[in-house]
Amino acid sequence: MHSLLDYLRLYFIIEAQYIKARMQYRADFIISSIGMFFSSLATLGVFWIIFDSIPDLAGWTFMQLVFIYGFYMIAISPMQILFDHIWQIRFHVQQGTFLKYYFRPLNMMFYYMSEMFDIKGLTQLAAGVVILIYASLQLGLEWTLARIALLLLTLFSASLVQISITVMAGCAAFWVLDAYPVLGLAWKLREFAPYPMNIFDGAFRFAFTYIIPLGFVAFYPSQLFLQPQDVSPLMYFSPLVGIGLFALTYWVWTLGVNSYTGTGS
Amino acid sequence: MSLIHIQNLNKHFKVLNRREGIGGAFRDLFSGSYRTVKAVDDISFDIEAGEIVGYIGPNGAGKSTTIKMMTGILKPSGGVLQVNGLMPYNNRIKQAQIMGVVFGQRTQLWWDLPVIESFKILREIYKVDQKTFDEHMGMFNELVGLKALYSQQVRTLSLGQRMLCDIAASFLHNPQVVFLDEPTIGLDISVKAKIRSLIKTLNAQRNTTIILTTHDLGDVEALCHRIIIIDKGKILYDGDIKRVTALFGAYRTLKLQIDDYNDATIIALQDKLTDRFGTDNGSTIAQTEEFWTDVTFDQARTPLSDVLAVVMSNFKVSDVRVVEISMENVVQQVYDGALR
Repeated sequence: MHSLLDYLRLYFIIEAQYIKARMQYRADFIISSIGMFFSSLATLGVFWIIFDSIPDLAGWTFMQLVFIYGFYMIAISPMQILFDHIWQIRFHVQQGTFLKYYFRPLNMMFYYMSEMFDIKGLTQLAAGVVILIYASLQLGLEWTLARIALLLLTLFSASLVQISITVMAGCAAFWVLDAYPVLGLAWKLREFAPYPMNIFDGAFRFAFTYIIPLGFVAFYPSQLFLQPQDVSPLMYFSPLVGIGLFALTYWVWTLGVNSYTGTGS
Repeated sequence: MSLIHIQNLNKHFKVLNRREGIGGAFRDLFSGSYRTVKAVDDISFDIEAGEIVGYIGPNGAGKSTTIKMMTGILKPSGGVLQVNGLMPYNNRIKQAQIMGVVFGQRTQLWWDLPVIESFKILREIYKVDQKTFDEHMGMFNELVGLKALYSQQVRTLSLGQRMLCDIAASFLHNPQVVFLDEPTIGLDISVKAKIRSLIKTLNAQRNTTIILTTHDLGDVEALCHRIIIIDKGKILYDGDIKRVTALFGAYRTLKLQIDDYNDATIIALQDKLTDRFGTDNGSTIAQTEEFWTDVTFDQARTPLSDVLAVVMSNFKVSDVRVVEISMENVVQQVYDGALR
């Protein structure tokens, strides 16, 4: 049996090797990192254009949106960096290569996800950190130790929300012949996450809060920092959303893994 | 107590009875009728530590399903299945520590990494201590020259090299049982021989139990003392290989391209063989592919040279090949009562 520490150590060893192997394709790394960086900035450009003609968006200023966007970019990075292998799951399931993940004395989700480490996601993470710091300086937010701890906790939870939504969509591969549309939809929807939820009308806002809780990837947790005085005390429980959702996702994954029969050989 | 204990084991799958055509497919969406397929149907056997068992049968016989149950992927529908006293499906992680698996030609090594790094990661996963690790790596190197491949990325290995690495890797943590599924498929003779000697040596030195599924009767002959033949989910034969070798070992198939082949050719050929060897000569004739006529015969009763002489003196033949008897043919012979 492996302890948490064993897993951490193992992850470090595997990824160190993986990164070393990837670095041989330097051009690929540089170009995809640059691409990642600019596609991150594109949404910021959209904000810029919107705010060129209107002073605020449903009560939110440009710089507040930049803060939310920075939060969003950090929150979606762990999915990008650590769970990127979920995109391949339909191939593994269809072609029977998924069988190998049963044969090691390891947690299967760990083993499966450890096979990919998306380095270019680090660019996104770094860009997110820079944007968040810049916006909070511009907004003159006050940072105490407690608030920094709260920020880290909410970021952790928010990234679990993003991971859960995507991984759960990927799990469709266990039951659906072609799970790509499901995963693609989850990925597309993510683009709604950096917007203030109050710009959406009732049905969408309800869906993004309670059904596919994209609001918890950036907007709701950001409120704890942007307007701490107005926020409902319930929001301090928002970290539980991420943990609960991930537990649900892990349960769905286990169901899928247990029902998989593989292909003939 | 035996290492693997299987008693009245079943695996049933529910399969949709598909209706024909698009309309049918649409109706299936709403009201499907299901039938039960018995992929593994009430089988029982015990395997002792140190045995090499050939688990063979034609495609769709239930081999893979049995292996998947033994390795903890599939949950049995009924019956008893214990490996080292535990039910694999309920104890996957624990069981994986004492098992090695090579499944078909899908590598379990890290595709982008050099071979040696894969072994190092496996050392961490299975917590193999450095001394045992060095000892095993030395042994693999001695047996198949693994060292020469250390720095190569797994993706750049040839199929044969990769199989050698995968098999060696499956033995690294000193497992009690190793499952090898079609380890030599698609490989040339020299690599096959290397793989067979690797398996044989590891079994002898480590007393590792090995369960081998294969289509290649050569593998079975070279490695196994015991053979279990399965077809349509049921065990047809479980016992000493010698009786089976005596059966298929003596059989050969002579493939002939006969000029001016027509419907009467097979009958004419059969008559000529009967004239020469009598009615009960054990030969069968069939046309299995276009232009080729297959004569399967028993070398003990009708030597190859004699059969060939009969064919050559009566027919105009443009091409000849001699092949070993196929798995399907062996199973057919067993059905026909050859081992009773």
